[in-house]
Amino acid sequence: MKKFKLGLMEKRNLKGYLYISPFLIGFLCFFLIPIVQAVVFSFSELKIVPTGYTTTFVGLDNYHRILFVDPDFVPILTNTIINTIVDIPAILIFSFFIAVVLNQRFIGRSFVRMVFFMPVILSAGVVIKMEMNDIMNQAMVQEASFMMGGEYFLNLLLQLRLPAGFIQYIVAVVNRIPLVIEASAIPILIFLAGLQSVPTDLYEAADVEGITGWERFWMITFPLVSPMILVNAVYIIIDSFTSYRNEMVVFIADNAWSRGGYGVSVAMSMLYFLAIALILGIIVGVFSKRVVYIK
Amino acid sequence: MKHLLYRQRVNRSASVDFVIFVFLAGGAIFTALPLVFAISNAFKPLNELFLFPPQFFVRNPTLQNFADLFTLMRQSWVPMSRYITNSLIIVIGGMAGNLLFGSMAAYALSKHDFFGRHFINSLIVLSLMFAPAVVRIPNYLTIAWLGWIDTYWAVIVPAWASTLGLYLLKNFIDAMVDDSLLEAARIDGASEFFIYRKIVMPIVKPAWLTLIILTFQQLWGVTGSEFIYTENYKTLPYALDQIVRGGIARQGVGAAAALIMMAVPIVVFVINQSRIVETMGTSGIK
Repeated sequence: MKKFKLGLMEKRNLKGYLYISPFLIGFLCFFLIPIVQAVVFSFSELKIVPTGYTTTFVGLDNYHRILFVDPDFVPILTNTIINTIVDIPAILIFSFFIAVVLNQRFIGRSFVRMVFFMPVILSAGVVIKMEMNDIMNQAMVQEASFMMGGEYFLNLLLQLRLPAGFIQYIVAVVNRIPLVIEASAIPILIFLAGLQSVPTDLYEAADVEGITGWERFWMITFPLVSPMILVNAVYIIIDSFTSYRNEMVVFIADNAWSRGGYGVSVAMSMLYFLAIALILGIIVGVFSKRVVYIK
Repeated sequence: MKHLLYRQRVNRSASVDFVIFVFLAGGAIFTALPLVFAISNAFKPLNELFLFPPQFFVRNPTLQNFADLFTLMRQSWVPMSRYITNSLIIVIGGMAGNLLFGSMAAYALSKHDFFGRHFINSLIVLSLMFAPAVVRIPNYLTIAWLGWIDTYWAVIVPAWASTLGLYLLKNFIDAMVDDSLLEAARIDGASEFFIYRKIVMPIVKPAWLTLIILTFQQLWGVTGSEFIYTENYKTLPYALDQIVRGGIARQGVGAAAALIMMAVPIVVFVINQSRIVETMGTSGIK
């Protein structure tokens, strides 16, 4: 019996279970069980019948259909992945820069913070999703092209006789600016929270030693906020891959109710999930070695 | 010494400030445009709303849209206050549970070394990657099995188990909470709950205030129409949606409703952020 006696540390660590159990139960019910069920569905054909639904096991048929029969799946998948990978560094740099600026004291700071958070509020409002969207887009495009002189800008580039590839790149980057700003809203908040959590005593000690602002930023702020870069990278990937506006998500949802059927659409989600997991794994692997933790 | 002081002043020159200001203003104007548009839209009379090409700014502002909206709200079959109460129950219930259970789990996963910890951690990251559409049908089946269809629980309880908040808090606790601080507290005889409540949570306050904004934002727009059928339990977004869908002539009412729906998260955001401002983090060790 003596073998099972726990030491002080083990006893304390066991209390951890107490703290995670409420969450874990919910997690099991609303994530794990549904996901396992979805995996089962991906190997079957699901039919809606008057009394509910029936499933028939079809093996790898759904997967075969997606990868070798469906002409759209693979191109859409590669397209989505490339777009996201291109956007990640831009969003990270932009949101970090804005968060650092918004963390300083100036008049109207909370208003500017609110303004940068606006895209999230706008994209979630149910009422706004309706007809208004079209009208808003039309008005926005008009206003924006007036402000930036869209065609004038393009003509200017053409007149400069720059190589065509270069012009295409610039236009592509300019076109993605709105997307980058929109996607930065929540990363900015997370970075801000990170900046505000940096212990002030470190700054005090550094000030006593006579540190310059530049050193202060790169030697204290940046290393201590670096874990948040990883968090944000993960967040950005997940957000862009699972957003309702993502091409792939729309395609998968389309398949659930028309085209292939629910089984095929779930199988697509599984492949999509594997792709995201792979990318996330690589990025976490690269970042986590370079991140600093207080300990 | 004089040399040092000089260098410090150069660090933050007027020209750099100007560049930062221009950059910030550019981004801010861009994101503020939809807000300005939504506000100006809500005050447009009907004939301006249907102008083509659409006008950005209102020319003859009117409060008619709001008056119409309130008239329609008064006529609704279930009183509006009922919808508002439903929304509040769902938002506050979901938010509180998510914050409490998420932060407790985050503390344990970050600072306790029990068996299966790493496995649970990776499960949580994996669960973040599933598009919500995938689990929609299985989720419905679970809730039906629990007998929660047509109750608030169908929306509130799944929100408790949302993993994004847990992931965020766990990373903040990993990064910002010093192990030696917890050890010192334990030597002084602090209980686990005391450490969680009085040491860990205050240090990561900016993180959970951010989480509150995110959860609020998510739950505020929930119509819950997949799970809730009884009119008495439906939420405010659902009710406003129904009013606005009454026809093309409700465009003005829709613009007013959109502004009201937006105003609430904005107010929550501003109050919330103003609470972070002065609580600059301290590690507690001096």
